[in-house]
Amino acid sequence: MFCEKAIEIIRELHRMGDGQLPAFNEDGIRQVLEEMKALYEQNQSDVNEAKSEGKSELIPTIKFRHCCLLRNQRCIAAYLYDRLLRIRTLRWEYGSVLPTNIRFHMCAEELEWFNQYKKSLATFMRSLGGEEGLDITQDMKPPKSLYIEVRCLKDHGEFEIDDGTIILLKKNSQHFLPRWKCEQLIRQGVLEHIMS
Amino acid sequence: MDPSEVEFLAEKEVVKIIPNFSLDKIYLIGGDLGPFNPGLPVDVPVWLALNLKQRQKCRIVPPEWMDVEKLEEIRELERKEDTFTPVPSPYYMELTKLLLNHASDNIPKADEIRTLVKDIWDTRIAKLRLSADSFISQQEAHAKLDNLTLMEINTTRSFLLDTLNCMYKLRSNLQPGASGGKAQDHH
Amino acid sequence: METHSYFPVPPGVGMEENFLSLDDILLSHERLPSRTECTFPRLGFLEKSSDSRDIQEGTKMEMPLFLAKGLYERKRRVVSVELPKVYKEGWRTVFNADPTVVDLHKMGPYYYGLGSQLLHFDSPENPEIAQAVLQTFIGRFRRTMDSSQNAYNEDTSALVERLDYLERALFRAGQSGLNSFQNWERGRASTITASSLVLNYRKRKITDLQP
Repeated sequence: MFCEKAIEIIRELHRMGDGQLPAFNEDGIRQVLEEMKALYEQNQSDVNEAKSEGKSELIPTIKFRHCCLLRNQRCIAAYLYDRLLRIRTLRWEYGSVLPTNIRFHMCAEELEWFNQYKKSLATFMRSLGGEEGLDITQDMKPPKSLYIEVRCLKDHGEFEIDDGTIILLKKNSQHFLPRWKCEQLIRQGVLEHIMS
Repeated sequence: MDPSEVEFLAEKEVVKIIPNFSLDKIYLIGGDLGPFNPGLPVDVPVWLALNLKQRQKCRIVPPEWMDVEKLEEIRELERKEDTFTPVPSPYYMELTKLLLNHASDNIPKADEIRTLVKDIWDTRIAKLRLSADSFISQQEAHAKLDNLTLMEINTTRSFLLDTLNCMYKLRSNLQPGASGGKAQDHH
Repeated sequence: METHSYFPVPPGVGMEENFLSLDDILLSHERLPSRTECTFPRLGFLEKSSDSRDIQEGTKMEMPLFLAKGLYERKRRVVSVELPKVYKEGWRTVFNADPTVVDLHKMGPYYYGLGSQLLHFDSPENPEIAQAVLQTFIGRFRRTMDSSQNAYNEDTSALVERLDYLERALFRAGQSGLNSFQNWERGRASTITASSLVLNYRKRKITDLQP
């Protein structure tokens, strides 16, 4: 049956229900596009034949192929769109720099889109709250205090805080740090927030 | 909404404290605070009360309703009535948790109060579930949410809204545009 | 509870599909017992059992919903669709008696979605199907709600097993409301947590390494 490849790439994406980004299925997309091209060409020639030779019995077949053509189109649009939703999420979960293994899962156009999104978001955030701008990816929950207690879950190297002091984030070390400096690192699983 | 956001809103509620320091009135966008004089009761928002309490700058006076006898009455009434009875504060659950966690030494019979409030909450949530069920099974079109608090609504909001949305769609199936509204007459 | 910022396009639920919803795309790939009412020339190769050049009139085939919907016409019979057995009178009676005993995942798993979509094919039984689907949803609501609200961090897989996809989504919404309240009660609501997305990536990386 037609459209089998298209549903396969949709299933592959749907299986990762939590929003993870699987590797861009370039080969799958190519195969779907090839099928679409073939369907289009077959229909084109059958339409010509139906017209010139008055073969109206070809119409059901033409319609059949056309449905499958539209179906493939829908699957590809949905596949690409759903991936963009996931890529947008990455900006909020990881920050503006993505780990390389995730970048490897994106195609060139997606990387380009991510950069554009990053820029739009940055421009918007700069326009808020006076000259300094406002980082709206911080304080996703109402903060209770300016400083929080954190523990390092892995070696992360040196880290500069507001007053210019440099501290060493070494595995299992504990620190009392400004909340806004750590939130992203906690989200990334480098630090752990300890509640007293 | 995340419950931490509901709690954040609750922190704007006013509570009485007895400070042990003196400070002139301070003027803030959200309203003026103080003046603070040692031993003189003054009204402040909960977030400030808790902050001062943590730094041992004040004693918190529990709200009037945070009292074993009063809460027992409320609990009995809540159990007796089929509908939701008025609660003493729109943030009774959040305030109980905040004040008991940070200032239990200022609240007489703190443990009993904790249990009572939890009982009231459980009774109300059970009612909420019961009424949601009859709301769905009788296919009602609107419901009154009188006397429900934000935290109570919040625990079931997305579930209930999603359910109602599905039900609405499945009901619209009964009258598909083209084939006319005959389906309504069945049953 | 972990806050997510990935919200997939939701399914349309009723007779309208959401064009970009992955759920709806999978739903519209469900196969329906159908019969061709005319010949489809030059498509015979799609039917593995025959070596004819054409799909003959009167061929029975399992046709995906999207195709059946696309080919179906009221005026001209191109294809006719038979009701899957869960929507036929026999099963409707069973559902009517006690909708809670039915394993909708096995019978579905898109019981509501497919039931709504079937209304596109003008079957004389449409009003009964629409009514049965609605009544089943209502009849099972209490169970869906109770299981999603009472399962205090228990293993929920047994409960969820018998739910249709739509009910599963509702179940998850109920659970996340309950979990986030319980986290708050235990004083964990204001803790900043690692993104579950990040954690899951890490888990996957570890399992990827294992042969």
